[in-house]
Amino acid sequence: MDTTARGTALMTAICAFVGFIVIIQLWLVSAALDALLSGDRTVLAPAAVASLVLALVNGGLLLHALHFDRAVRRAAR
Amino acid sequence: MSDRQRGDAPALAPAPRAQAGPAPRWREDFPVPWAADHYVTRRELAKFLTLGSALLAAANGVIAAVGRWGRRAPPASRTVITKASAVPAGGSLLFRYPTADDPCILVRGDDGVLRAFSQVCTHLSCAVVHRADRDELFCPCHHGVFSATDGRPIAGPPTRRLPVIRIDQHDDDVVAIGKEP
Repeated sequence: MDTTARGTALMTAICAFVGFIVIIQLWLVSAALDALLSGDRTVLAPAAVASLVLALVNGGLLLHALHFDRAVRRAAR
Repeated sequence: MSDRQRGDAPALAPAPRAQAGPAPRWREDFPVPWAADHYVTRRELAKFLTLGSALLAAANGVIAAVGRWGRRAPPASRTVITKASAVPAGGSLLFRYPTADDPCILVRGDDGVLRAFSQVCTHLSCAVVHRADRDELFCPCHHGVFSATDGRPIAGPPTRRLPVIRIDQHDDDVVAIGKEP
């Protein structure tokens, strides 16, 4: 597989994975809001920590993809 | 340098003009080709999703902060609601607790036990009413039904149970002593 095809596959996979994680975060927000309104405050902090970890995973994946992209473009020059 | 300028986007030439001569007025007002306007690279999508992910994490943090430091329910106070003899079997009585803005309902079930719940439906905040023939609390707005025994939802759109008002009985007085979320 050449580098361009690898890059395409990488970006597609990362987009799909990041989208999946965003859906999980949406569920976390709705579950946390539901818990807050029903007075169950014990789950709010774990939900916030989990959401933060997922956001960091997303950020790491994006940085990895951009780094890969930059390296490929530099090599192509 | 943008992604399109780097050359990884397909060539998006402006739409050919239908005829020679001066450009029509609408094309002068909207010079961006339709295809280019709607083109989003995977890279841009990933950035957008990651930004959304960060915003969702921030929203979760705000919810946790509100839960940690937000306004809590006022401390429970003791309030005499009514005389127990005033509520017959299958009957109900409306009252306010813990503040005048919190409507509640006191019901006496078929078993003769007095129970009290918030009257605010957990779906969209309509007022629930007691249906003595079925021993349940009914929300007429969207036909939500709650158990008159423990307040849990048993039909319709509500998913959370009604808050329970803890009551105590002194002689013939029914006293509200607290509210469970």
